[in-house]
Amino acid sequence: MMRSGFLPDRIIHLHPTRLCNLACLHCYSESNPQQRAALDPEVLSSALAALRSEGYAQVSLSGGEPLVYAPLRTVVERSRALGYRVTMISNGLLVTERMDDVLAQLDGIAISFDGLEETHNALRGRPDAFRRACAAIEHLASKGFPVAAAISLARDSIPELPDLAELLVTLGARGLQVRPVARAGRARSLDDAKFYSAIDRARLYLVVRALQQELGDDVRVHCDLAPTIGLWEQRDDYAGLLGECGTVCVEDRPLADLINPLVITDAGTLKPIAYDFSPRYNVGSIDALSLDTLREYKRRDLPQLQELIGGAVAGLQNARDFVDWFDHCTRLSERHLGPAMALAESS
Amino acid sequence: MRAITPKELSTAMSRQLANYNLSDDVIKSLAERVTIEGLFLGRFNPCIYGICIDYFTDKIPNLATLTIKQKVAKWEVFPYGIIEWDRFHVQVAFNVDELGGKVGGLPAGGFGH
Repeated sequence: MMRSGFLPDRIIHLHPTRLCNLACLHCYSESNPQQRAALDPEVLSSALAALRSEGYAQVSLSGGEPLVYAPLRTVVERSRALGYRVTMISNGLLVTERMDDVLAQLDGIAISFDGLEETHNALRGRPDAFRRACAAIEHLASKGFPVAAAISLARDSIPELPDLAELLVTLGARGLQVRPVARAGRARSLDDAKFYSAIDRARLYLVVRALQQELGDDVRVHCDLAPTIGLWEQRDDYAGLLGECGTVCVEDRPLADLINPLVITDAGTLKPIAYDFSPRYNVGSIDALSLDTLREYKRRDLPQLQELIGGAVAGLQNARDFVDWFDHCTRLSERHLGPAMALAESS
Repeated sequence: MRAITPKELSTAMSRQLANYNLSDDVIKSLAERVTIEGLFLGRFNPCIYGICIDYFTDKIPNLATLTIKQKVAKWEVFPYGIIEWDRFHVQVAFNVDELGGKVGGLPAGGFGH
């Protein structure tokens, strides 16, 4: 099957609630313990069924903290019954034996980390956050569950990555996904020193490549940063969204060939690519999701997304940089700048 | 004296890269060298030259893209041939003086050979 949007799978990022047992200083969704909104599992299940027929194959649960979402078990079971692979990202605080029955149904779970203990606890605002996240990795590994670590690093935490990676692998993590902290949500109030220059992105990319070699084939190490040259050479991954009509016009293409990943927010809004993607590109709402509404979206509203992503892809051709592609597109969506200009500006 | 193992060598490399011991200029030139148009980055190994990188491509490699890169110590092209017709493995060794193929002042290959 043709790839879509630089990803090997067609993914829904599901944020069923922004309720969280933490209020991290860098949280892009600004989740916290005061949030009460949560998606109705019946409405959500109907939407997931419709989106399955639009070509999506994986549901990636995030939040807020997915393990505080009361109907989680129902949503996971129904997603699996629809044929989705289901994965989750959690802060690990509630990963205990009590949750094993639902955790056992997941195709993968990642525990989030921000650095070594002092850094992690400071950003999470809780003195035992790191210890409990490590305990979660250990617990999941001991049960034989496929566990990984999702590592979000501020610029000044790059030096902590080799030691953190070594610790997490020792605890049982079978995968590491590393990304620079995104300037989104609550992170916007962090000091500028936390964010990356072009050289910092190159440094992080090289560190991750060195770690891949160090950790060998038993651990999957992934960096969300990619060389612009490589992305440009893979631009055919956007043939669904940007390609000529040919035999199948855009309106007749499944949504997953056009938008990947797709985000469902805690308000039930469907968005392209990222939680904080500009609202002007919203796809619709799970309350009113139907073949007709999607067809109308593709006909009327998709061209502005095509223009944005088309410009961003074109901007890759002459750039020599490392980018977090989805974050790059999200920042472009907010700024309405010409993509080539924005790429130059970001370096 | 025992030889430095590949694992120790690569561990040292990830820490050297992460610890801001290498200047921005070194990182910049290294980043420029590891991304080569038309070649997909595979393995990334420390070696006696500094860094050796395995690239893959499904097109006949354009070796001109390598020669314009600075400090290429050597390169080898391996056509997969009957295993996978349209796949080439290109191994490039870059001289990176600052990494130097050394760990703690010891030569990367150790003293065993």
